[in-house]
Amino acid sequence: MTRIHLRINGREQSGDAEPRTHLADFLREEMNLTGTHLGCEHGVCGACTILIDGRPARSCITMTAACQDADIRTIEGYLDDPVMAALRASFKKHHALQCGFCTPGMLATAFDIVTRLPDADEARIREELAGNLCRCTGYAGIVAAIKAVLSEGVPAPAIRPIKRVALAASAEASPAIATSSAPPTGAVEPTASLEGGVTLSRNVAIAVSADHLWRELKDIQRVAAALPGAAIDTVTPDGHVKGSFTVAIGPMRASFGGNAHVIYDDASRSGLVRGSGGDRLSRSMAAGEVRFAVTPAGAGHAMLAAEIVYRLSGPLAQFGRGAVVADIVDRLLQQFTANIATLAQGGAVSEKPQGGFGLFAAAILSMLRRLLRRGQRRDQR
Amino acid sequence: MKAASLSYAAAASATDAVRMLSSPEAKVIAGGQSLGPILNLRLARPSGLVDVSRAADLRAVTETPDAVHYGAAVTHAEMEDGVVPDATPGWMQTVARRIAYRAVRNRGTIGGSLAHADPAADWVNALTALDASVVLTRSDAERTVKLEQFFTGPFATVLAADEIIARVIVPRRTLQARWAYWKFCRKTGEFAKASAAVLLDPARNQTRILLGAIERPPVLLPDAEAIMTGSITPARAVACAAPELDAASAAMHAAALTRALAMVAA
Ligand SMILES: Cc1cc2nc3c(=O)[nH]c(=O)nc-3n(C[C@H](O)[C@H](O)[C@H](O)COP(=O)(O)OP(=O)(O)OC[C@H]3O[C@@H](n4cnc5c(N)ncnc54)[C@H](O)[C@@H]3O)c2cc1C
Ligand code: FES
Ligand code: FES
Repeated sequence: MTRIHLRINGREQSGDAEPRTHLADFLREEMNLTGTHLGCEHGVCGACTILIDGRPARSCITMTAACQDADIRTIEGYLDDPVMAALRASFKKHHALQCGFCTPGMLATAFDIVTRLPDADEARIREELAGNLCRCTGYAGIVAAIKAVLSEGVPAPAIRPIKRVALAASAEASPAIATSSAPPTGAVEPTASLEGGVTLSRNVAIAVSADHLWRELKDIQRVAAALPGAAIDTVTPDGHVKGSFTVAIGPMRASFGGNAHVIYDDASRSGLVRGSGGDRLSRSMAAGEVRFAVTPAGAGHAMLAAEIVYRLSGPLAQFGRGAVVADIVDRLLQQFTANIATLAQGGAVSEKPQGGFGLFAAAILSMLRRLLRRGQRRDQR
Repeated sequence: MKAASLSYAAAASATDAVRMLSSPEAKVIAGGQSLGPILNLRLARPSGLVDVSRAADLRAVTETPDAVHYGAAVTHAEMEDGVVPDATPGWMQTVARRIAYRAVRNRGTIGGSLAHADPAADWVNALTALDASVVLTRSDAERTVKLEQFFTGPFATVLAADEIIARVIVPRRTLQARWAYWKFCRKTGEFAKASAAVLLDPARNQTRILLGAIERPPVLLPDAEAIMTGSITPARAVACAAPELDAASAAMHAAALTRALAMVAA
């Protein structure tokens, strides 16, 4: 717990907050100020917008601990401000609200517009309102209400921007950050299907015989070693594998624990690994299949063809942007085939995901891209 | 969803921050405007956060005859409002105003944007085109890296785990130079779907044309002069520099480049 001190709606207040608590939760749960609404918790919808040090900010992506000693104004604290009074009357007159869910955030943004941009025209008002979504009004009433306050003359505000104070360099020794144990992963029922997954493939010629390369691929432990981010817990003789895959995409990290099945066909020197798993903490699911085949390619050479199909669901799928995926997937598939080549030729590969990018990152990202595209299509409908 | 359990500490200086980062699972947080959503979704689960948003030296701006050095924790809104000096004739101010929404700009920082390295982010692209560098600090050393060499992939940079961006150095530009930054997005405040920037600075003998938001680090186009004179068309330049783009995306990037070129010509 961190002791938090804030000036909320003009009153000095202290409370205990877990360091992970965002400001909206702190205000709603600890201070019982439930007028601050939460919509997306991603910073996109604007419902949680409040005034921090006199400036609008998203309380859903502002850490409470980062606001130590700040001045906080929520919808409950706008009563004594003349600008807010004018906006309130104007919102009422121009039918700028219906259900009211967006209104606390709309008022914080409207306050910012009329105090910071006294010359704003309708186009500018709309531009500034772009970060506050309203499902009811169609915005016309909100724009009209703000325009009316601007044209009727904005009263002098009681709430004013306060300069952000930097911490004194001689601040008391900051507590050290605790190191946590490895992120927990747990079994989540695999429900993801590969339908609609993304397929990528890579071929690589390796200077070993096809038989040699095939023997290499039949060693599950070695195949896993070539997949950066993969770890095997148990393997049964019939090819059932329990293990995990860790992916890092920038600051995002997910560790998928689950099961895979490996099938080899000696006659055609081809095989597949099919697996699925879940990341308990982010409640994301992944399913994927890697198909591989070895063919002779002239004197002392073999061709390894690898194809990957992936599908991702859950928050990780919703979050990232689609097109990033292909780049990383391709990079990782390349890494996998290169690692297999190195191993087959007697070399060693690093066990760690290179630069934080596990092969699985690729997979996840590719699934992510697919889902995002579908999400966008849904939006357009 | 809510962030997973973590500890939190506010750094009073860059040195302080670097010391607190020594734990491998700790992560820097500045404005939290990119990390916040990721924490809420538990896609990132650092054991601890080191808050640099109020570190005095990371909030400072210093000027030299040749450049402006921005502390990494300067916010987009401070740039937009002209609270900090603009190294260019108002170009950075214009870029800042188009980033996200005011409520996000009030907390989001220039250093956070660069460290996050989203290929579609505005500072990532505009500051690379402006030939900016970052000063990276760790406990025993400091190094200066040009942005061209800083980004290594989507959301990936050369930053080591115990290293932070201390400052961003932006070379000064005068009114003799010309500049255009064009960002395509479907909705105001969104990340770019395609972007292009053009810088013509005769005083420094620089012509830089950049293609951004290509889901990998931005590319500075070779043959900038030929693109300027029109002997290489924008469509051709895009096809050569980013052959992986699908037709619709390539067309959008070519249009962004065409518009940026028209803006500097105007
Ligand atoms: C709804 C919404 C829309 C947005 N639209 C746009 C847009 O159109 N264009 C755009 O460019 N951006 C956009 N953004 C992102 C915004 O600009 C963020 O402010 C920015 O990307 C990150 O800055 P931050 O200070 O909030 O960093 P944080 O979120 O605190 O951190 C981001 C990452 O950088 C690291 N980091 C932060 N500071 C440092 C440092 N000094 N040294 C080393 N590492 C550091 C963190 O560890 C983390 O990994 C949008 C954000 C939201 C929520
Ligand atoms: S809940 Fe904060 S922006 Fe949507
Ligand atoms: S009034 Fe219902 S969401 Fe705006």
